[in-house]
Parts: sequence; structure tokens; C-alpha cells
Amino acid sequence: MSTALGRRRPLRPNLTRNRFAGTIARREGGLLGGMRPVAKSLLSDRIANPHRKDDRIHWLIGIFLLVGFSCGSDVVQAERPIDFNKQIRPILTQHCTSCHGGVKQAGDLSFVYADKVLPPDGWVIEPGDPDASILIERVKSDDPDERMPPPHEHPDPLSPGEIELLERWIREGAKWGGLWSLEPLQPATIAAGSDGSNWPRQPLDGRVLERLKSQGLSPSPEADPEEWLRRVSFDLIGLPPSMDRIASFRTELNRAVDASSREQVYVREVDRLLGSERFGERWASVWMDLARYADSKGFEKDPHRDMWPYRDWLIRAFNDDMPYDEFTIRQLAGDLLEQPTPDDLIATAFHRNTQTNTEGGTDDEEFRVAALIDRINTTWTVWQATTFGCVQCHSHPYDAFKHEEYYACMAIMNDTLDADLPSDYPTLKIPDDPARLAAAVEVQRTYQRRRDERNQLGSELAGKVAWSPLVPSNASSTEGALRIEDDRVRTAGGTFPPGVRYTVQADAPPLTALRIEILPASDNPANWPEQGSVLSQLKLSVEKADGTVIPVPIADVFADALTGPEDPRSSLDKDAAGVGGYPKLYRPRWAVFVLRDRLVPEAFGPGAVLRLEMLQSNSVAGNLATPIRHFRWQVCDEAAWTELIASKALADATEALEQAKQAAAKVRGADLPVMQQRQAAVGRATRQFIRGNWLDRGEEIPPGIPTVFDTEQTVRNRLDFARWIVSRDNPLAARVWVNRIWAQLFGIGLVETLEDFGSSGTQPADRELLDHLALRLREQHRWQLKPLLRELVLSSVYRQTSAAPESLREHDPRNRLLARGPRTRLTAEMIRDQALSVAGLLENRLGGPSVMPPQPDGVWQTVYSGAQWKTPEGADRYRRALYTYWRRTSPYPSFLMFDAPTRDLCSARRIATNTPLQALVTLNDPVYVECGRALATRATELSAADDSADVADAIEWMYWAVTQRPPGQLEIDELTQLYHDLREDPSGDAARGGIALDALAIVANTILNLDRAVTK
Amino acid sequence: MKSIHDQVQEEFARLQTRKHFLRNCSMGLAGVWLGERSVAADPDGTQSDAADAGQSIPHFSPRAKRVIFLHMAGSPSQLELFDYKPELQKLDGQDCPASFLEGKRFAFIQGVPKMLGPQYPFQQCGQSGAWVSDRMPEFQSVVDRVCFVKSMHTSQFNHGPAQLLLHTGNQNLGSASFGAWTMYGLGSESENLPGFIVLVSGGKTPSAGKSVWGSGFLPSVYQGVQCRSKGDPVLYLSNPEGVSLQQRRRALDAIGRINQQTFNETGDPEVLTRISQYEMAFRMQTHATEAFDLRQEDKATHALYGTEPGKESFANNCLLARRLAERGVRFIQLFHWGWDSHGAAESEALNGGFKTRCEEVDRPIAALLNDLGQRGLLEDTLVVWGGEFGRTPMRENRGGREMRFVGRDHNPGAFTMWMAGGGIKPGISYGETDEIGYEAIENKVSPHDLHATLLHLLGIDHKRLTYMHQGLPQRLSNVTQPSRVIEDIMA
Repeated sequence: MSTALGRRRPLRPNLTRNRFAGTIARREGGLLGGMRPVAKSLLSDRIANPHRKDDRIHWLIGIFLLVGFSCGSDVVQAERPIDFNKQIRPILTQHCTSCHGGVKQAGDLSFVYADKVLPPDGWVIEPGDPDASILIERVKSDDPDERMPPPHEHPDPLSPGEIELLERWIREGAKWGGLWSLEPLQPATIAAGSDGSNWPRQPLDGRVLERLKSQGLSPSPEADPEEWLRRVSFDLIGLPPSMDRIASFRTELNRAVDASSREQVYVREVDRLLGSERFGERWASVWMDLARYADSKGFEKDPHRDMWPYRDWLIRAFNDDMPYDEFTIRQLAGDLLEQPTPDDLIATAFHRNTQTNTEGGTDDEEFRVAALIDRINTTWTVWQATTFGCVQCHSHPYDAFKHEEYYACMAIMNDTLDADLPSDYPTLKIPDDPARLAAAVEVQRTYQRRRDERNQLGSELAGKVAWSPLVPSNASSTEGALRIEDDRVRTAGGTFPPGVRYTVQADAPPLTALRIEILPASDNPANWPEQGSVLSQLKLSVEKADGTVIPVPIADVFADALTGPEDPRSSLDKDAAGVGGYPKLYRPRWAVFVLRDRLVPEAFGPGAVLRLEMLQSNSVAGNLATPIRHFRWQVCDEAAWTELIASKALADATEALEQAKQAAAKVRGADLPVMQQRQAAVGRATRQFIRGNWLDRGEEIPPGIPTVFDTEQTVRNRLDFARWIVSRDNPLAARVWVNRIWAQLFGIGLVETLEDFGSSGTQPADRELLDHLALRLREQHRWQLKPLLRELVLSSVYRQTSAAPESLREHDPRNRLLARGPRTRLTAEMIRDQALSVAGLLENRLGGPSVMPPQPDGVWQTVYSGAQWKTPEGADRYRRALYTYWRRTSPYPSFLMFDAPTRDLCSARRIATNTPLQALVTLNDPVYVECGRALATRATELSAADDSADVADAIEWMYWAVTQRPPGQLEIDELTQLYHDLREDPSGDAARGGIALDALAIVANTILNLDRAVTK
Repeated sequence: MKSIHDQVQEEFARLQTRKHFLRNCSMGLAGVWLGERSVAADPDGTQSDAADAGQSIPHFSPRAKRVIFLHMAGSPSQLELFDYKPELQKLDGQDCPASFLEGKRFAFIQGVPKMLGPQYPFQQCGQSGAWVSDRMPEFQSVVDRVCFVKSMHTSQFNHGPAQLLLHTGNQNLGSASFGAWTMYGLGSESENLPGFIVLVSGGKTPSAGKSVWGSGFLPSVYQGVQCRSKGDPVLYLSNPEGVSLQQRRRALDAIGRINQQTFNETGDPEVLTRISQYEMAFRMQTHATEAFDLRQEDKATHALYGTEPGKESFANNCLLARRLAERGVRFIQLFHWGWDSHGAAESEALNGGFKTRCEEVDRPIAALLNDLGQRGLLEDTLVVWGGEFGRTPMRENRGGREMRFVGRDHNPGAFTMWMAGGGIKPGISYGETDEIGYEAIENKVSPHDLHATLLHLLGIDHKRLTYMHQGLPQRLSNVTQPSRVIEDIMA
């Protein structure tokens, strides 16, 4: 067999995940082997798979990679059976599904679903017999009334080639195929090339080589060490290698005696980069586009939000090489894990990057729903590359997702407490000092627990005692009208502004407690939720027949459940908070008011009535009232209430709560929005939105995942959902993530549409390669990124030079065949970081609040906001790009110009552009001017050039520093001549120490603007 | 056999080969800066060949080459400007009938508000006899150039979403703006200036932020470029302090020659694009500075517009709009902030800030229309004016109580926009509202209809200018919503 096989070490069942944290473990062996088994932490088991079976060798099936020689000739391919996904589905998607798809199913025919096409239910195809198939008859017909697609709307018929394919497919039995991306990952049958070439270092290389050969191409030569070093350094840590690194890399290579020791120099360099803390920063910034990370809440006022602890969590996760399954589960459902750690909770901020609309007069439910929809669409884009957003309004036009399945997914995610409140409740205070994190989070969680514990003493009792209705004899309001219906009271016209007060009178039996039921105005649950409904303060009294009013003291208040930050007891004072539904009423809510002493109204003489004064002073943004529109009161006369308020249990709970509250109030730090579960007892019902209209609600939909995914797992909540996503039952997660990683390195994904693996996306350039890498990632590397990257950047494919002759560019302009190395423009972040780095200005501090480096005046002009861009003095001006303050309505202008998204929504792909505005940034932005000057100063110092005769040395040094290449003669001549010309310019400044720094600074800026400077 | 998307991508790739590049030294996403037209796929798949679709733009002969869109951010009251409602005057001060409130969602009105009659007198103007209030005395003289659409309506009643809907066809973030679509479809006419320029006055950007001129799902190259009347008109336009024009030219020559060498070594056509983009940046430095220099205008013009060079004002932006139109800028978007006349404070009251806003825009708008007309530019320039929604015929009662100043709440049911120039029938009024100006009732026009119509005037079939995103061939007029081209307002 090939030499490549000889290179491969025997693969052993790798039972454990290699912990690649922080420093890279030295490992023996070649590139593929020798992943040293390390005990897998209990932590990762707890998160990824609580019931993991011992059998961990499933992955082995078929991973014998270098099997045999597969024939790549076109002749043989032509005789292969038709591949439905590659050859047939595109015809159907292009010509048929706009009328016979998931949305429109004209004639009850849909080419999205096999059972609508094939017998017994389908009627257009007779497998094995194209001539008897109506499909063929119709596409071939000359009769304009018969022909498909109908000629009056679609003048062009199917081409003869397309029809022939359809016929062949039917003749071969009309074998249907699910969407390629939903099929299980296929272990590769990768040939290593048959000619004994030693080019392939890995199966990946063998696969690429095989394809090149089939096209009559061969790989490009290996890149110069510096070209590779620049590429790998940006790809892994987002920064160029320093001059010292280049020098020592060169020295080590020169010292290498043979190919193997030379290889080790490369390996060591990669391991060094993977072990750098800068690695986490680089890859966090990739994820931040997906997570729509921003430092503001979005929409009109776009106020500040403390989001940076989540960004720092990302950096830690990437630096620790947290496996992708844990990484996923923590972000989607960290709060639902048993005993979540502070980091698990911080991770859930992923889905709190949705926007909060603080504009006055907005409907909080409308924007809560918008955020929820964003979470669903983002989840499906990030992990599944599925255009699930389509299914919001109707079944998917091309892929087999049904409309109601969108809402099944919504039901999974509709369980959190956040409600588009300006405070971003619920939040978690994160102290600046990591050492205090664990204690601070524990204190806050204790406070939450104590609140629930105390309230439950009353809410549980309320379910055990008997309540009888209190029928009002009179109900009046300070504004607007009320109407009594039996034991209920409803609003009956008028305006109920904040501060409205109802007075209800009733003949009451003896009582120890009262319960209010706050009801939706509509009796039809499909009309819920409604505007909030809050009782801010209850005053209770007895009104005697002579009009005397005697106050009745209330000892305590308990609510059905706690759904906000308020204490139910706030309904005893004038504070606007109280009990009920806020900001929205999703369902009937109740609260119990326990009297200090048992009350016997009769004892106050004949005609004495109970009088309830109900103040409603709460409102939502825009001073919109949250009045009670429908309610009833009940009474209870059981002694249990009086006993409860006298009990030690309650006294202890009160004391514990008070202590916990005080402790929590002392925590100082960032106020990070997090996910927190709403209690099931007051859960929200999820209903299908008819045609996607959130005000038009249909059937209630239970949680679940689309049936197209073949799984036996039950998915009821976010944790189940997250575990399913990273389970073997879901082939998309691994494909999608490995494709993103590939795109980061090669500039274009194996599936170009990183965001769409469905019928409307692009087909994979090489599906076998994609699956091979996905399996490597998931099974071999146990979802860890670093070992996968290590393989990729050491592969022969990656190590090719990017220079290519015109013939190759003509043949493969976009390098889909990989006959050369990738050559891509630096990202917005890399361009800034490189300039700071080579200028020696870069401040390498990790993490912390976002910073405001210089930006032009007047860029921030947001309505109703006093927020200001305040540029700091000192090192914070020079932080890496990912720490730059990100305001959604006004992101850092130079980043936008280099194709950064606004981060309003999840952004799965940046398309690199090439515009004059980019030139203006790197030529004129004061940041780059400052960097140019610093680079020039550094060059004169480090190259020891101190007079004009040495200026070429300084220029050469700068060119090296920026591009990692030795300048050619043309470059040296051009730049040196530029320096002299600038110097002779009368407007140039005086020289300093022989070298005119002003002129040299312009030369430095010129170098920063070269194509080689903005390209890797 | 490949998917539509694959085909588009491959066509795109073909365009990027060096041979194509050398024949036409503009390509790919950068092409838009140099007047290259884009490729587009047809949503029905009838014309999947991207190149053909691209070549077919314009789909029919264009009536307008460029757009000047005057957005009155915050939404001016149609009832105090153009939609004359004597019946509403009669109801002034009365409780709003329950039938007007049923099933309605308001931003701030609560319970039962009072009706509010027009706050300013109206009169009929020009030969067309259009009704205009006394707040727009100069505009009264140009009404015969204008087509009013009084039956605009929208689905959104908060500023951010309504502005997004008006400018991107979608109330949610993430879609491409009208200007970005226009650039995507038609490219730029100017080799020296960005093709899509945004000018903001009133001290604030619109509520929906910069997304209203963003590129959304389209490549970022199509986004609007916000220019300023103070400081650098385009960010980073000026050479750094101490760098002269000659020095810059000299440095660019070095960059160009070294980059040419890089191209020779790598064969990467992006390098050639970069060379041409740097050249364009240089030209832009000169031309944009010149274009934004209002001091070049004569006294009479300043008097006409009420402009003062160096100030940030709507008047200055109107004059700049004319100068940019002259220089071939395709899409000029003006935002003037401060029209949200709730009455919660004097600055946002019909009897306060509203009057000032009217004074700020009245003269410049009349001047712009006259000036464009005199220069023959109005023939192929579409001028569009309006807010993101209308205002209620009820007086706002924030917090359920009468407020100190007079104001109206947001009303998605009816608002007035007007258009003039390129292909628009002048001197007419289209559509009607009910007798109190609450709901559009006759010939209703949605933002989607507006988009379809304006694209049509630019020579583009709104159903055929598409871009694949989230599995759908997206379009400005929003694939999920009905839309129609309003033939009746076309000349």
C-alpha cells in the first residue's frame, strides 16, 4: 500500500477525551497517533451524557481510513447509480417545489416529501417504469395545457439532460434520498493515491489528492516556512508571528537534520500557538458573530448591557478546549444542569444576547416573542445550518420541516423568566475578581432559593385549604367603570391609568385569609397573554353600618409562584410592584393575603362589610398601566393560616431570606443577563402562530423536535434539546461545526453556505471529506477543537503555497479543489490587531469590560440616550479588537467597513469585500497612523538604523515585521525611494537622529496598506 | 445538475476569473463601486442563469436613475400637514367612540382618549388645488410638482420596527435597505463617490439605528455610507495631519507598484481589485471633499435653501443632496429627526417642536424641488418624502390623563407620503383616508407597494431582484407579503 499508510499509526480505540487544556501535552508519535488517553473528567460526563454507556467504540466503525483504491474516472462515475441528492433533488428544487413544495402543494403533490411522490400515496411516479410515470409524461409533453412546469409562467422546459436523468432515476427504482446533510455521517473510504506519492500526510490529503488527480491537477509546492507561519499564526491566534518567532522558527528549521525533525519544528510551532492564551481570543471572536455578542441591548435607545463576562467565558472555553458538546449544552441549558457552576450560568448568556426593546410604548410580549424567535432561529443556524426561520410562517418550502414543528421548538425554549424588561431581568452579578466569582454566585443563588422556600410555605398551604367565594356587594373605581358578575368583577369601559384604585365591598364570613385571582379579560386562552395585571397594594378594612372604617392588618402575602424580582409582600406598601402578572398576564394568577388575626365581620355589628381597596400603580415602559381587568376574591377560615404566620418555620424562612437578601445585595460587579427557568406551575403555553402572526394563535403545541430527525430521545426542555443536538442522532452538529472551522482556515467552507445545509444551500464541495472531518472531530477528538486544528494546519493541503499560475486560477478560480493553499483577506479584527502588534502597542491583557479605542467624533448619535464614547488613556486604547465596545446601532465604524456584521442577529458568514472605504481606514484612521509611527520608531530602534544610510535596514525590518517575508528588490527600492522622496518634500518635518521619522512613519503606514499586509 | 444557489455561485466565480477581470477592470463585490451591475437569481427559477438575470436589469426602461429619500424620522402628523379633515374639527374635544378603539394597539394612548381637531388652518394651493396647512408656506408653491399618497398604511406602531419596515420591507432587523437593494440591482453611476450616501440632521440617527441604511443579508458592500456635513464628510477621508496630497499620491504609487508585483507573484486577482480600490479611494478624497464643499454655491442658492456652510442642518443636507445627485450618486437618503409629536414635552408637541421642524424643512424642500427642476435633474431623480407611520386623530393621553402639551400618538392606519420627479405623475393626490384621517380606506398603499412602485420606476421588477437568504429568494418588497406596483401615480 501507499507510503501514506506507512505514515499512519495503528488507531486504537480512544476511550477518553484528550484534555487539551492550556498547555499542550507533549505527545509521542506521529500526527495522527498517540493521543494519550487521559481520564475523562466527571464534569464532562455530567454535562454531555449523564447516562453514557461504557461502550465508546461505536465511532470505530469504518474509520479505517486508508482503504483501497477508489476509481475516480468519469466513465465509471457515469455508470454509477443515480444519486438522488446530487442529481435529482436539485432538478426538483429548481423546477418543481415552488408550486409543489412545502408551502404550496398544488394537486396535493409535494416534492419535499417522498410519500407525496412515490406509491402507494404518491401518484406521479411508477418506480422502474418511466413511461408509465405521469411526471415524465408531463415534463415531456408538447401540449401547453399539460406541460410541466406550465409554459405560461415558466417558458423554459426541463432540458433533455434533466429529463433523461429523471427517467434513469425512475428506471433504477426512483430511490428517494433524505437531504444529504441529515443522513448519518459516512465513514470515509479515502484512498491515499496510488502512485506511491509521499505528498499526503493524512487521509485528508489523500482525499484531496485523489480529487486533484481525477481533474488532471497536482498539488502546489509547499509554502515557504514564513508563508505558512503567517497563515497558521493568524488562523490559530489571530495575530502575526513576531520577528523573534520568525527568527527562531527559521533557526530551528535550519538545524533540522532530516524530514522528521523538520516536521517536529512545525509541530512544535503549532502546539505553541494552540497553547497561547491568544488562541481563545481569536476563536471567541468567531463565535461572537454567531452569538450576536454586543455590549448594548439594541433597538431605539440601545442602552448599555454588561455582556463581557460571557465573552470572557468564551475565551476561557476555547483556551481550555472545552469539548463542543459541553460548550453547546452549557450555552443552551447550563442553568438546567444539576448543580450548575458559575461558568455554566454565565454560558447561558449566549441566548441573552437577544435584543431588549426599551422604546416607550412597545409591547413587551411582542419583543419577548421576537427574542424567542431569534433564539430558535439562531440555534438552528449556529448548530444545524438549517433555515428554520422559514418554518415560522409555514412548512418549509424545500425541506421536510412542518409549520407546527417550529412551535414545538418554541415550546422547548419558551420557559425562561426574561420578559423584555428594561432591567434585562433575570441577571447575575459577576464580580470583577474571578477569585470571588464562586462565592458571589452562590450568594445570589441562595437568595433565589430562600425566596422560593419562603413563598412555598404559603403557596403550598393555599392548595390544601378550602376557599369559598366572596361575592361583592359593591365595586367601584377611581377611574373607569367596573361591573360585578356573580363573584367576579370586570372592567366595563373607561380609562384605567396607573394609580387607579378599586374599592370592593362584600358581606364576608369569618376569615383568616383572602385570596385574589387575577384573571385574563378574555376567557379564551388563545387570546392570552394580555397586558400585565398587577395589584400593587391591598388595604383591608371593615366598614361599619355607621360608616366608621376600621383597618384590618394583613400579616403576610404569598403568591402562586415568583416570576419577577419582587417580593409578594410589596403589595402591602405603596410600592408599584405587587402581585399578579407583570409585564404580561399569561394565565390566571393568584396571591394569598393572610390576616394578622382571624376576622369576624359580624362582630362589628349588623351591616358591617369587608372593604378591599386595590391600588394599581404599576406600569410598563411608556407609563402604560397594568390594571386588573377581571378578578375575584375568595376567603378561607382555616386556622392553618394563623398557625403559619405564627410558626417557627416561617420565622426561620423569613430570617434566612433577609440574610440572603442582604448578602446578595452586597455583591458588586457586572450585571449579566442569564437564562432562568420559569416555574412550571405558571408556565407559558406555546401556541402555533397562524401564518407566523404572533397575534393570531392556533393550537397549543407540546415541545419536540422535527420528525425528520430520527431519534428515540424525548426532548421536553432545553437540556434535552441541547443534549440531542450534540448526540449521534443528530448528524448536523458535527458537519456544521467542522465546516465553520474549515472556512476559517480556507476562506470558504466545504459547504459554502455555512448558514444553510438544506436544499437551498450549496452542495458540499466534497461530502466525503466533510464527513471524514466531522467524524474526526466528534469521535476521534471527542469534540475538541485544538487537536482537529492541529491536524488541519499540519496537513499537506494547508501547507501548499497560495501562489498559483494563471492556468490553475482559470481552472479553479475559487480554489474549491484545493490545488493551492488558501489566500484570504484578514478579518476586521485581525487587521487592527496586526497593526497594534507590529507597532509594539498591543496590550495583551485578557478579558474584562469592553473598551473604547479612538473613533471619530459624532459617530454615536443615538436617540434618547446620553451614552458617550469615552476613549481611555493608556493601555486600554490598545486592546485587541474583540474587546472593542460593540454598540448594535452604531458598531465601531472601521470594523463595519471590513465586513464585520452589526450583530443585531446571528451572522453565520462574513463575505470579504474589497472597497475604497477600507483603503481610507488603513490609510487615514488615526489608529493606523499611530501604529505606523510606532512601527517606524520601533524599526529605527530595533534595526539600530540611526542615519539615512541605514534607512533601508529599517524599511526591510518593517516589511518583515508586517508581512513575515523578506522584501524583494523591487519592494526595497520602491519603499526606500518613497522615503527619500517624502523626505525631500518641503512639507516634511525635520529629521531626527539622521532618520526623518515623519517620512519613515508614512513608509510604515504604506507597508501596513500593502496587499500582503491585509492578506494571510 | 446543481442547485440554483450553486449555479449562481459558479457564475459569480466565473466572473471573477482573471480574464474577465482584465476585460472589465471591476468585478465581484467591489464592482458596485465602479458601476458594475449585480447578478440576481429569479425566485421562480424560470431564469436561473444568473448572468442572464443580471444582464436583464433594468427589466424595463427606467424612469428614474436615482433616488433622494427624505425621511422625517419620528413621523410628522398628516393631520397637521396634508390630510385635511374638517370633520375631525367638529369632533374636537369629544370622547373617542369605542368603535375606534376596538382591536387597536397604541403606543401610549390608554382607555378612552379625546378627539383632536387639526391644529392649523389649511388652504388649497397651486393648479392642482392640493390642501396644505399653513405650516408649509414655501412648499405650498411647489405642490404641482408633487404626487401625494394619502393612503399609506403600515403594520408597525413603534418607531424602530416601522422605520425598518419602511426602509427594508421587514419590521425585524436583518433585511437589506432600499438603498442597498438599489445598489445591488443597479450599481453606482459614480466612479468617485459612494453610490449610496446617507445624511442625518436633527442631531440623532433614526430610532432603528444604522440598520435602516444597512445591507442586511446582502454583502456589506451595498450598505449606505453615512456622510457628515461637519468634519470629514466620509469617515477617514482626510489625509492624516502632516501628510500632503502629493505625499499621499507618492505613497499610493508605491503601494500600486508593490501590489502589482504581488499580483505577479501570486496570481491572485483580488490584488488587482485592491489596486483599483486604492485609486478610487484617492479620487474619492478629492471628489468627496469637493462635492461636500457648500461654499462653492452662490449666494442666491444659499438664500434659496436657507443654507449655512459648516452647520449640520436639514437645509445643508438638501443642498448636498442636489450636489450629490449632480455627481451621479445613486441613492441619497436624508433623515431629519424630531417629528415624534406626542405632546409629552414642548419639544415634541404639535404646538411646540412640530412648528420648528416644519420651519426647518419647508424652505429647503421647496428649494430642492425647484432647483432639481431648473437643472433638469428632477426628470430622472425620484424624490420621496414621509415618515414611518401616521398620527392618531385622538389626542394622546399618556398615563391615561390629559397632558400639558398637545400631541398625537402613533397611528399605523394612515399617513401621507409624497413623491416627485422621475416618472411620477405630478399634481395629483392618490388614495383617501376616512373622514377623520384614522384609516386609509381607498387605494391603500403599504410600504411593500411603495417599494414595488419605486423599484419599478428605477427599471426593476421587484419580483425579480432577489437574493438567496434563509432558503428564500428574498426581495425588498418582502416575499411573504402582498405587494403591487401603483400604476396610477406614474406619469
